[in-house]
Amino acid sequence: MSQKFGWNWLGVVPFLAFALLFLMLPTMNIVIGAFRTPGGGFTLANVQGLFSPRIMSSFILSIQISAASALLGCLIGFAIAAAMVHGGLPKWLRGPITTFSGVASNFAGVPLAFAFIATLGRVGLVTMLLRDWFGINIYAMGFNLLSFWGLTLTYLFFQIPLMVLIITPALDGLKKEWREAAEVLGASGWQYWRMVALPVLFPSLLGTFALLFANSFGAIATAYALTGSTLSIVPIMLYAQIRGDVLQDPHLGYAMAFGMIVVTGAANLVYIILRTRAERWMR
Amino acid sequence: MSFLLSTLRRRLSLKRLQRRGGPRPKSGNGFRRFWSWTALIVGGLYFFLPLIGTLEFSLRMRRGEYSLDAYRSVLEDPRFQQTLGYSVIMALATIVVGILIVVPTAYWVRLRLPRWRPVIEFITLLPLVIPAIVVVFGYIRLFNTSSFLPMTGTTMGTNILLMFGYVMLALPYTYRAVDTGLSTIDVRSLTEAAQSLGASWVTIIGRLILPNVFGAVMSGAFLSFAIVIGEFTMASLLNRPAFGPYMQILGANRAYEPAALAVIAFAITWACMGLLSLVTRITRVGRAGK
Amino acid sequence: MSFLELQNLEKSFGDTRVVKDFNLNVAKGEFISLLGPSGCGKTTVLRMVAGFEAPTSGRISVDGKDITRLRANQRNVGMVFQSYALFPNLTVAQNVGFGLKVAGVPKSERNPRIADMLALIGLPDLGDRYPWQLSGGQQQRVALARALAPKPQMLLLDEPLSALDAKVRVSLRNQIREIQQQLGITTIFVTHDQEEAMAISDRIVVMHQGVADQIAAPQDIYNRPSTEFVAGFVGTLNRLTADVLDPETGHIRIGGSEITLGQPLPAGRVTLSARPEAFRLAATGIAAQVTKVEFLGALISVAAQIDDTPVSFVLFNGGDDPVPEPGSRIHLQIAPSRLLIKQAA
Repeated sequence: MSQKFGWNWLGVVPFLAFALLFLMLPTMNIVIGAFRTPGGGFTLANVQGLFSPRIMSSFILSIQISAASALLGCLIGFAIAAAMVHGGLPKWLRGPITTFSGVASNFAGVPLAFAFIATLGRVGLVTMLLRDWFGINIYAMGFNLLSFWGLTLTYLFFQIPLMVLIITPALDGLKKEWREAAEVLGASGWQYWRMVALPVLFPSLLGTFALLFANSFGAIATAYALTGSTLSIVPIMLYAQIRGDVLQDPHLGYAMAFGMIVVTGAANLVYIILRTRAERWMR
Repeated sequence: MSFLLSTLRRRLSLKRLQRRGGPRPKSGNGFRRFWSWTALIVGGLYFFLPLIGTLEFSLRMRRGEYSLDAYRSVLEDPRFQQTLGYSVIMALATIVVGILIVVPTAYWVRLRLPRWRPVIEFITLLPLVIPAIVVVFGYIRLFNTSSFLPMTGTTMGTNILLMFGYVMLALPYTYRAVDTGLSTIDVRSLTEAAQSLGASWVTIIGRLILPNVFGAVMSGAFLSFAIVIGEFTMASLLNRPAFGPYMQILGANRAYEPAALAVIAFAITWACMGLLSLVTRITRVGRAGK
Repeated sequence: MSFLELQNLEKSFGDTRVVKDFNLNVAKGEFISLLGPSGCGKTTVLRMVAGFEAPTSGRISVDGKDITRLRANQRNVGMVFQSYALFPNLTVAQNVGFGLKVAGVPKSERNPRIADMLALIGLPDLGDRYPWQLSGGQQQRVALARALAPKPQMLLLDEPLSALDAKVRVSLRNQIREIQQQLGITTIFVTHDQEEAMAISDRIVVMHQGVADQIAAPQDIYNRPSTEFVAGFVGTLNRLTADVLDPETGHIRIGGSEITLGQPLPAGRVTLSARPEAFRLAATGIAAQVTKVEFLGALISVAAQIDDTPVSFVLFNGGDDPVPEPGSRIHLQIAPSRLLIKQAA
């Protein structure tokens, strides 16, 4: 038996080699680089450099945008999925909504930025229609696509469908009998959601939030194509740093990348901790 | 459109209620349905307006009338053809290599190393947590010309590096798709039955396992395609002439062509997802038919 | 006066009439079973009583009050589901206390009631467990406690035993009946298992294609089935075709044998329906050949053929008659009083 086990691991060697070479070693290289002097010695100076006002503010902006788009994505996506699964909508709508969600969640990057420029940019369709038909000039009112809310609004285009795709199976997992049992015990619809459905869904909701957060935190293409480098979110600064060393300190780049891993890692750690607490009732 | 439908539907149900001579006990139903339609319509507006806006914008190139000039301009651009061709080839290579890495691993883990599953699954989910820009930054440092594996030193080497990067990006989706596909068949019994008939490993994986998870593999393949075809960060930082960076450069320099490009990109994504759901449906029907 | 009244209840889904002109009066404290094959409408009747389905027409009243239009959460009924339907995120105690909590009962009153309920179902120490830590039988008992905790005016059981093992099924059904009698709660029990219905009901409603074929006590359902369907669905029924040779004395020919039933019969061809216990072995009578003998403990089930018609009957283990061997030829007498006779087409 042990002899047999001794060779079985060989079957996953190609996969492990791939993961090591193209995922883990490169990441480790960055993490180690963040704590190294150009000469190869250990230092905390790079990480300290992260706390300069310029880099700090970019991290804060990135975290704000990611949290806002993840939170709104979760809320709206949940509303749509709940409407689709439990809201008494006709059954045939499900197929089209799911397929569309698959498309929209993958329609990220450069073309998404183009689409929003063409819609909500200064001469975009919706901007023009609002101005010409309703007399509302959203740009005069302070809206700007190249801003926090503009970027959040754009990110929602892939965040909401991603939420719909992930949460729909979880909603399907809510048994009809739970609702009926709650109802027959005298619970209102709201009481059922608060005491049964939401607690049951909580781990999935939390996991999706963490995923959506990481998803927008690491996104560059959309923001870059939308704003160029006017909006200094972390990934865009790192991108510029890698391309042309705009920070005049190559090792600050390592530190920024390390900071990104710390943020997404922390988001997932919080998720894992909350999940274990929320899942006491699970196997 | 859908609002009209909903009012119509509510009218109809009202008629039915009148015939029954009273409201149904679940009067919360109408309320719930109202909010459902509201959520759907608001969502629908948010998702369709940008698409309509882009389409409209892409037709505006000629002053005063709608035309396909922007599309003509894009399609005639030799760089469009070159970069799209490059990305298509990269996508196909990514799919092939991805299948070669993922299918045997998922199969082997299910067959012989069930205790390793959490570890392997954890690794496959890492790309969702580690931002792609960090990984590609690592590539540039790790595989530079003076390293143990100087992949960025040659064009071919960089292409291969980019391809592996794409396999890594698509890993969470492909692995999950294939693993789900494998869960629907009894891997162990099938393998033992084939072995008892004297089949070789190549035969077992190629003739037995692959056809059974074909739908799942194709799902993973179309997803990979959709991810790779417009990918920007990795291709841009590795300086490869891919479709994503081309779109970005065009967007920075032109007005109407980007909208046309966005429409084309959306159509490509749609085609991928359409094929994906078609394949899942066909394989599901085939399985139900057995 | 009856406690629960269902009057002219009708339910259609689209063009399908699932329940047709259903009438039932249930006395306070009575245990009624709705028995029938799947798709006969029994669950729909229960769901209409619970308030999950609205009747297409008809009236439901409890204790003289019309509740037809009341929503499920206003009806104060307890319900137990086939799939247990315990809330997985709540402990056993929290599950049992759910109905009290949503009704705003303070914790100080809730806890003793929960403890009482857990004692009632015989699981006093499992309050802190989660549903997945319990066996199926335990889960269903908790579901019963949850349904009973808010002191409902009625208990509705929707195939509560179908998901359980045979042994648990029998013990739990006895426990359900005990608790029901102890509390004196009016109960409707939906099942497709005739043995279950027979064992615990005061009365049984046999349903068939949306219609109540017969509403009667278990013995009457079995001994005096009012329709062919009831006779066939409840218990085993042997069907024999006979030629009436003398209508006045009831002299008939079955297969190659002739017997006299001693009661007047219609002339021509008749169908005789008989329960297994209507037959007994005798020296003379209808000739048959034994095909199979099954030892069931106290009883022995014998399958035989009269010409080409299969019949089955039972013998007491250790009775006077020797147990026939498979393949042997025997003679059977029929008790005329246990026969259902119908003119054959």
